[in-house]
Order: sequence, then C-alpha cells, then structure tokens
Amino acid sequence: MSRARSIWLVARREILERGRSRGFILSVLFTTALVVGSFVVPTLLFGGEQVAKIGIVEPSPPGLDAALTATADRFDLKGEIVPLADIAAGDAALTSKGVDAVVHVPADLSSAGSIRFAKETDQTTVQVLSAAIVSLRVQHVVAESGVDPGAFIAAQQIPTVDSLDPQTDLDTTRFLFANISAVLILVGVFSFGFTVLTGVVEEKQSRVVEVVLSTVRARDLLMGKVLGIGVLGIVQMVVFVVAALGAAVATDRFELPATTPVALVTLMIWFVLGYALYSTALGFLGALASRMEEASNASTPVTMIAMASYFVAIFGVIDDPSGIVAQVATYVPMSAPFVVPLRAAFDAISPIEIGISVVITVAAIWFLFGIGARVYAGAVLQTAGRMKIRDAWRSAVR
Amino acid sequence: MLEVVELTKRYGPVVALDGATFTARPGRIVGFLGPNGAGKTTTMRCIFGLVRPDHGDVRWQGNSVDREARLRFGYMPEQRGLYPRMRVAEQVSYFAQQHGLSGAAADAATKRWLERMGLADRAKSKLEELSHGNQQRIQLAVALAHDPELLVLDEPFSGLDPLGIATMTEVVRERAAAGVGVVFSSHQLDLVEDVCEDVVIIARGRIVAAGAIDELKARSGRRHLEVEVVGSNGGWLDGDGSLSVLERDGDRVKLLVGDDVDLDGLLARARAAGELRTFAYQPPRLSELFMEAVNPTEVAR
Repeated sequence: MSRARSIWLVARREILERGRSRGFILSVLFTTALVVGSFVVPTLLFGGEQVAKIGIVEPSPPGLDAALTATADRFDLKGEIVPLADIAAGDAALTSKGVDAVVHVPADLSSAGSIRFAKETDQTTVQVLSAAIVSLRVQHVVAESGVDPGAFIAAQQIPTVDSLDPQTDLDTTRFLFANISAVLILVGVFSFGFTVLTGVVEEKQSRVVEVVLSTVRARDLLMGKVLGIGVLGIVQMVVFVVAALGAAVATDRFELPATTPVALVTLMIWFVLGYALYSTALGFLGALASRMEEASNASTPVTMIAMASYFVAIFGVIDDPSGIVAQVATYVPMSAPFVVPLRAAFDAISPIEIGISVVITVAAIWFLFGIGARVYAGAVLQTAGRMKIRDAWRSAVR
Repeated sequence: MLEVVELTKRYGPVVALDGATFTARPGRIVGFLGPNGAGKTTTMRCIFGLVRPDHGDVRWQGNSVDREARLRFGYMPEQRGLYPRMRVAEQVSYFAQQHGLSGAAADAATKRWLERMGLADRAKSKLEELSHGNQQRIQLAVALAHDPELLVLDEPFSGLDPLGIATMTEVVRERAAAGVGVVFSSHQLDLVEDVCEDVVIIARGRIVAAGAIDELKARSGRRHLEVEVVGSNGGWLDGDGSLSVLERDGDRVKLLVGDDVDLDGLLARARAAGELRTFAYQPPRLSELFMEAVNPTEVAR
C-alpha cells in the first residue's frame, strides 16, 4: 500500500471523527453567529440615520422651522419638526417620547425662549437648536436696524474644513482587516495547532498509537494528523470569512477595497503556512509528553513564540507596515504568518517579498517536520513521564 | 516463516534482549513464555518495527521484515488501545484499510468479524461504550480483519472471562488451521499447554528453551510418578531417601523421578505393599519445564 494512501487514511479519520464531533460543529456555528452578529446587531441598534424630533410650541416666530433645518444640515444631522399647541402639549409629547426636545420661543422673538428635554439633555441638540435660535434673533435685530440681511447671512458662513490626506473609509476597512487577519491566524494556529497536540497525547494515553504504528510510519501519522486537522481549520476559516463578507455586504457597513480578493487569498495561504509550522512543532512536542498537563508544559515555548509574533505584528507592524521591524519579521518563519498578511492588507509589501517569505517559511516547515517526525517516532511509544528531545531523537526507528 | 535472529537491545544499562533467536512456522501456534521483564514485549515490538534492535534481524519468508511485510501481520499489543470515541465498525474497518484492504473489502471483513465476535449489533457504538471484555474482542478483530499471515498476540488472555478465553482460543486455533503462524505470550501456562504446539521460553533477554512442547517434555529428565496403593497410607515409601516426594495424600503419593528411574523395581515394591490402584508415569507439566528453563539453579535445589 502506498504511503500516500496511508497518510490520506489518517487524515480522513481525523476529518470524519473531529468534523462530526459536537465540539467542532458548535464552534463553527458559534463563530459564524458571532461574526454575523457583530455586523448585524450594531446595524439593528444604531442602524439608519438618526432623526431628532423637535417639538415647536405654537405660535412660533416665522422662519424658525427653516432656521432649525438649515442649522441641522450644517451639522449633518436630520431633524423633524412637530408643531405643538402649547407648553402642556409639549410636556405630554416629551413624556410619551413623541418628541426628543421641545423648543418654546416667543413669536415676536422678545426672548431666547427655552429648550426642554424629557430627562437627559443632549448637548448636540442643544447646540444646534441654540445656534438656530440665536441666528434667527440676530437676523431679526439686524433687519430692524436696516443692514442688508443677505450680506449678513453671507457673513455668517462658516469656513470650509478639509485635510491634506483625508482619512477614508477604505483606510478604516484596511486597518480592521489587518487586525482581524492577525487575530484569525493566531486563533487558527492556537485552536487547531492545539488540536494536533491533544490528538497526539490522546493517542498515547489510549495506547492506540502502538496498534497504529505497527502499520503506519510515525512521520506519516504525524503528517496525516496535521493535514486532516488542517482541512478542518480551513473549513472553519472559510466559513468565518464567508460569513463576515456576507454580513458586511448585506448590512452595507463597509466599502470593501478592490484588494479584498488578494488579501483573502494571502490570508488563507498564511493561515495554512502558520498552522503547518506551529502544529508540526506542537505535534512533536506533544509526543514527548505522556499526559495532558505535561503536554501543555512542553508546548509553552511554542505558545510564547506565537504570542510574541502576534504582538510584533499588531504593535510593531500595524504602526509602520514598511518599517524595519516589519521587514525583518517578514523573513522570520515564526512571525511571517502574522506579519505578511497584515502588510498585504495595508498594501505595504511587494509580491517579491511575499514570495521570498513563503519560500523561507515552507523551507522552515519542511525542516521542522523532518526533525519533528523523528522526535515523534522516538517519543510516541514512551508512555511513562516526559521524554527529552535528545533521547527521543536517538531512539527513533528510522 | 518468521525468523527472529540474534536480537539484541539495550536500554542504557538494562539488557532487554541478548541475542534472542527463534522461529514461528505457518500453521503452528507458538507460546512465547517468560517471566515479567524477560523481553517478550520488546521482541514483539521489534517484529513490528516499533523498537529498533541494536543488533539482529527479523525475517519473514527469508527477507528482512519491512513495512510491506508487516501489513500482512496482525498485532495485539500488551497495552491494549483503540480510539475510545470512534465507532466500532469504523474503527475495525480503518485498521483493515491501513493494512491495505480497499474500503469495501475492509467493511465486508469488519462485518464478518463483528458477527464472529457476537458484536454485530454494536457496530455503531463508540468503543468506550463497550464492556472491557467486548473491547478486547474488538481489539482481536482489529488484529484479524485484514486476514494476516502472521498473528502476534501479547497476553491475549489477560483480563478475559472464561467465555472470552474460549472465543480467543477457538479463533487462534481456527487461524492456525488456516495456515496462519501464531505467536502469543501468556503467563497462563496451563492454557498455553492446551493451545500451543510449540513454545519459546525467554529469560533475561535470551531464549532458554524452544521447540515442540512434546519434544521438550521428552527431552526433560523429569518425570512424575503417581502411585496409589489401597490401605498403604504411603508407608511402602518410608525409609527410602533416594525418592523425591512431591505430595502425599493418604494412599496416594506423587513422586518426582528421573527418566532413568527403575520403574520395574518401584512397581514391584508398590505391589508388595498392597492392592495397586494407580501407577502413572508421566512427563512433567509445562509449568515445570518453564521453571526449570527460567531458573535452573532454583529448580535443581
């Protein structure tokens, strides 16, 4: 029988056994619900433009409606005017939440009048309403004094505001995308890498590994395990990304950059590379342990490296995606899976750099797998206590 | 034919195997005996390539055993173990496929063996839901489903109830009758004597006795003589210091004698003592051969 078939049988067993398990199905459903929820819920809560309902106690000064609408426009706010018969009607409308605020200004503009809320006063609304009322009263005074009202209104025009390099929605989306990428890779490496680790220890604990190894080569068993669990990781990742994109498009919350497909492909590639690198390390370290507690101790160095790489990515690289830290981290196999997709999201890495980084990382995986498989072979039958890497290396059956 | 040739294995200062050599022929059941720590499990692991010997070789049909050859072996390790949460039928089929059977052939073999073990109705159960004895039956099915040419069973009877032992014995005999070579280790020597034709006895990593049980018995100088003389109360033996008495029970005495014993003389003495009811001259039990082989000085004393 070919080794490929043997590896495939191991991988298929992992996919079927774990893919059908309640734990995996629940975690896929849960993450999907979480992703979709994080898009849909804010839309439901804060969705649509806010319209403030402003009650105006009649009789009101002529032009107040227009002044309110014009001022609100300047602040990019929408207001709806509700005429009210008297102050009592205004209070009733406030109590019943028919309006958000009630404005009472004497029709002859003899005083500034009042603005009343049901409970909390909203400062934005206060400023908009106050500006409108003040402007109306000043115009009234100016008109009486014979100054040209048109010239006066023109003089009230506020300066235009802009920025040299405006923050666009696209930048926000990129920033978000970069952060999500880094988190996804970290979560993927951890959850599925640790599934490999626990799988290896479970096989030792249940002693099934001796039966398995009487027909399957140790390195084929490790490879099949990494492949099978990796397929589940990719499934979960695809479900996650599809759910996120679907929810984003459906709720219309983001403008997706044109580079989205490239960034997604980059993310998938680096998810696979990161997972392969870290799960291989976790797999053979798991083989050194004979109990779960020992396994988590054995895996500590890998955990630390992964966390450190993640922090380099989100603190060192997001701030300066083309800086020296980012460039160095691109060529270090442990940090590349976190850093490269992030730089790609910011469009701050060239295809050549990505290519070199992929080659270095693949070489590192191949090298680690060579060492790991031998250590795994030497350690996996040792069922008492924790084994040293050197002893495992020596006792491996080649 | 399986040939274990000069296997040597050290773990640091501990010598696990010290030039162990024996053969297992097709259609023969070999009992692989030895005290705890004698090297039985290490030998079996060497056969399956799980332990790399420092020296020596394991040969199958004249060639060094490789992975292809091992696919035709069936193994039941001492440390039993299967996937606890995997369904029984899928599990047996999985291992049969790992031994090279196609999916369909593996499923058919699984069905056949589960029926044979009386566990067809548990096909969809998870292994951990089965009783200990039934898990052992599944373990045997895993070793057998791919129709191996060599069966290596490490302590197959340990933890089995009499019913389980009967099934196990029956299956082992049936496989041997079909031409399969069987090697199994056990501490239950009476059972081994019952089931096996050949034995290999290992002690401190060396093979100290090997061959057909009958031949080994014949070769041994030890004989048992059981004599019952009615009403004698064994008195006819008194005063004879040259005889080694194993047991005295009323009129019945059991003697340990050499194969050079003067049977005619003893028969005459017993007859003279009274009515002779039993006079049985027998080879030694396997357990004695075992003790003799494993610890010769102790037995001689």
